[in-house]
Amino acid sequence: MTIAPEKVRTGIAAHMEGGLKTYGTGGTEIRALDGIDVGFEKERFTAIMGPSGSGKSTLLHTLAGLDSLDGGSAYIGEVELGSLNDRKLTMLRRERLGFIFQAFNLIPTLSAEENITLPISIAGGTPDSEWFEEVVAILGLSDRLDHRPSELSGGEQQRVAAARALVSRPEIIFADEPSGNLDSKSGTELLDFMRTAVRELGQTIVMVTHDPMAASYADRVVFLADGKVVGQMDEPTTDSVIDHMKTLGA
Amino acid sequence: MIRTAIKGLTANRLRMALTGLSIVLGVAFVAGSFVFTDTINARFETLFTDVYAGVDATVRPDQTLAADEAYLDESLLAEVQGIENVAVAVGSVAGFAQMIDAEGEPIGGQGPPTLGFSWVNEPALNSLIISDENGRPPKAADEVAIDVATANSQGLSVGNEIDIQTIGGIDTFTIVGLANFGTEDNLAGATLSAFEISRAQELFDMEGRFSAIDILAVDGVEPDDLVEEMSTVLPATAEVVTGEQQTQEVLDDVTDGLGFLSTALLAFAGVAVFVGAFVIQNTFRITVAQRVRELALLRAVGATGSQVVRLVLIEATFIAVLASAVGVLAGIGVAGGIKAAMAAAGFGLPEGPLTVEVRTVVVSMAVGIIVTLFSAVLPARRASSIPPVAAMSETTARTTPRSLRMRTIVGSALAGVGALAMTAGLLLENGASLVLVATGAVGLFMGLSTLAPLVAGPVARVLSVPMRGITGKLAKENTVRQPRRTASTASALMIGVALVAFTSIFAASIKASVTDTLEGSFPADLAFASTNFTTGVSPNAITALENQEEFSVVSAVSAGNFEVDDVELNVAGIDPDTVLRVYDFGPSIDLADLGNGLLVDENTLESSGWAVGDSVDVVYRGSDTVPTEIVGTYTDSTFANYVIAEDVFVENLSDDQIMIAFTRLADGVTLEEGQAAAETALAEFPNVDVNTKSDQIAEAEAQVDQMVALFTGLLGLALVIALLGIANTLALSIVERTREIGLLRAVGMSRPQVRRMVRWEAIITATFGALLGVLIGSLIGFGVVTSLADDGLGSFALPHTQLIMWLGLSVVAGLIASIGPARKAARLDVLQAISYE
Repeated sequence: MTIAPEKVRTGIAAHMEGGLKTYGTGGTEIRALDGIDVGFEKERFTAIMGPSGSGKSTLLHTLAGLDSLDGGSAYIGEVELGSLNDRKLTMLRRERLGFIFQAFNLIPTLSAEENITLPISIAGGTPDSEWFEEVVAILGLSDRLDHRPSELSGGEQQRVAAARALVSRPEIIFADEPSGNLDSKSGTELLDFMRTAVRELGQTIVMVTHDPMAASYADRVVFLADGKVVGQMDEPTTDSVIDHMKTLGA
Repeated sequence: MIRTAIKGLTANRLRMALTGLSIVLGVAFVAGSFVFTDTINARFETLFTDVYAGVDATVRPDQTLAADEAYLDESLLAEVQGIENVAVAVGSVAGFAQMIDAEGEPIGGQGPPTLGFSWVNEPALNSLIISDENGRPPKAADEVAIDVATANSQGLSVGNEIDIQTIGGIDTFTIVGLANFGTEDNLAGATLSAFEISRAQELFDMEGRFSAIDILAVDGVEPDDLVEEMSTVLPATAEVVTGEQQTQEVLDDVTDGLGFLSTALLAFAGVAVFVGAFVIQNTFRITVAQRVRELALLRAVGATGSQVVRLVLIEATFIAVLASAVGVLAGIGVAGGIKAAMAAAGFGLPEGPLTVEVRTVVVSMAVGIIVTLFSAVLPARRASSIPPVAAMSETTARTTPRSLRMRTIVGSALAGVGALAMTAGLLLENGASLVLVATGAVGLFMGLSTLAPLVAGPVARVLSVPMRGITGKLAKENTVRQPRRTASTASALMIGVALVAFTSIFAASIKASVTDTLEGSFPADLAFASTNFTTGVSPNAITALENQEEFSVVSAVSAGNFEVDDVELNVAGIDPDTVLRVYDFGPSIDLADLGNGLLVDENTLESSGWAVGDSVDVVYRGSDTVPTEIVGTYTDSTFANYVIAEDVFVENLSDDQIMIAFTRLADGVTLEEGQAAAETALAEFPNVDVNTKSDQIAEAEAQVDQMVALFTGLLGLALVIALLGIANTLALSIVERTREIGLLRAVGMSRPQVRRMVRWEAIITATFGALLGVLIGSLIGFGVVTSLADDGLGSFALPHTQLIMWLGLSVVAGLIASIGPARKAARLDVLQAISYE
């Protein structure tokens, strides 16, 4: 029910068909993904929600090529990830994906600017300076570029991570609880910016969160429970998300 | 706490193994040198005690007599036999006997002596045994018994003929028996030949004389009582000792001779332990840093600071005990290896098991455990200062840089005191100096490695200039931002490389000095020297050379000992008429005026406080005091610091102690013709080598090279430990940076890039350590060589190529050390970086 209609398939940035992932064996076996089908449209901000152990982080990791599926297929655009070796997966992450993690997003020995351009440096390229300036300006980091992560506040660190994800113009940005470690003001700023990136800069973002307030910034919310998609909601608000969560018994 | 410590250890087997390995190597050498020394002592003691078991007492010449007066008159034997409690007394002689193979080359003798004996017919008094299947004792003048080992190595058996050279010349003998020395095939590599007694007396120039009289006491008479009784009867030129005492003296001589090996082994063990201490300290420092959260959690749940210290020390103790035990076992292996290597080199030691004393185990274990605990104390103390709140913080706290002022003061003080102690040790000329030099070196190294973090940052920055791309940048930042870690990782390598560099420089300087001396002061065309240490060039050989018309001059230099003002010293005897034509040693006077006077090397004269014109009291072996005038000085002290005229030397010391002789070729004679003439003249004297000047230089250099190879091989051990340290530190720092590396992988860093990053880091660290090592080694080398200038080390040489080679090798070795950690880093699970416990 979550697969988009055939005519919109070209507008899908990433999707999974029958995704299966288990941890442990025998009595302790846990199905993190239990034959899941899900897709994420381009130029949209999608949130993945679900209680602890629902498989939302696993979904993000397998879709981003950080972890492999035990069954089914994961696609970035038209590329099936299971067919790629480590080198090709690395290239794919480097060239087509961006990441914002909950914490430890930055290399402590590099300055903010160096962290932002890290994926481009790794690829051996030079950043588009106009775009770099624009991203940095939008995120309000212009005067923090020479600082090292230890000299930045938590909010600033996450904004540097966001800038890093944006500066290489990836097809899709995966965010894993990006505001999870931030105070509410910094969190709001970051989420606001992510929404701006989608609406005004045409980015695609998939974000895992368990915070209904964070989810309300998304265009669409996909609900997960026990490794399956159990619902979705367009144009969510904090209250509607909370209400829906209650129906899931979370 | 103990349970927590054990859990921590078993969870980190690799870390434990790498730390342990550096302890194992150090302890192995400590234990190895003990086992080796004990084994030598025990085996020879067994052998000699067994061999001399039957001898109750021995009469021998008074030990203070000059060499040519040290003999017993044959008539003494009858006198001894007449003593009531003497059951059997047999006179014997011993001397130099060089066996010669079918090609005319001397057999053995490159180190171990070539001994000749008279055959003793009383089995209880004879150390040699000929078993039934090995023939019989020599009975006629042309018969000889030789040792089983030489017979085996030369393929000789009973009935064969063999040429043997003695003082008088070469004679041919028939082998009638093959003898064992006690249970052994020979005596520690020495060749043995035994002759019938009167023939032996003739061969050793001892007609009518004995070297010793061995005695069996009448049953029931204590050797001590017999000795006491006899000593009142014997003339002043003879003395009597018990068989036991004689055995002990022989044993002491042998073990003294081999003692240098034990000393060298212990020195290298010291180096290994010292370098190992750095590795251990570094490992504990990093593991404590890594476990900040774990240790902080312990603090949070109520552990006191001292409990945390105890936890770290308990872990250290476990590793130390286990590794030291392994080290002791490995040390037994090391001792066995050395014994085998010596046997292969011709110094066979008696058969038998290795001796492992309780003391060996205790001392080696103690060294391993104390060094480990000592190295772990500082990191442990740091662990106790972790605040409990660190358990709650999200990121691993990178320790904020503390002030470097204390470090600068402590480091400078240590290095300064160390350097002073070394200098003082080198300038002093007594027994304590070596200890002072060694202690000084340890202090200097500790001081410099304390100071190393001060320069680690800037130097690493410069070293990483050629490194391109993000991998180079990250490697650079990792080394530059953690100067303490970079420096302490590099310290172990620094010490190893410094010692190797010092050895290279020292050796190069010796070579340069030898070459300078040979080229500068020897106008001679050919030199003649004995092939073994025990005998000189025969005076007859000199006469034979003088009879060749190809030579315009032949001049010999004798070497011996005399006492000046009660101190025993080396003295050379020269021919005043001819010496300057072959060897210009820079005398300050016309040698025609030397007469009975003494020349003293100018540096020695200066340091002794004498002046030309002074009279000193000289005692030649056993002689009365001879007041001798210092008539002049000289500059080149290659042979000795004191020089007297040849006729004075021969008269007072000996005529067969010629160390070396030189010739000039007559006009129109080529070097080849001269060599041929020398070979002809010396056909009778196979133990004399003919050397051209370039031969001599090559020979001297080869000797130095041999020593260097041995030292470098053993110092290589220190380098291996240092590299283990680098590998260990890298591996641990990768564990510490799991998240960082995972993040890099997530945002697109490929495995080869990760590996490259780790490699760069290893290269920067290794280069830093090696550069510092070469620098320090060169400075120490310069200091030592300059301060030894008075002792014949005139030229300081810097072997550039070798030093650069060592530098290159260290970098390559650093690369090798990084292989494992780099692979580990590249294989790291990306998910670990982004999962939160």
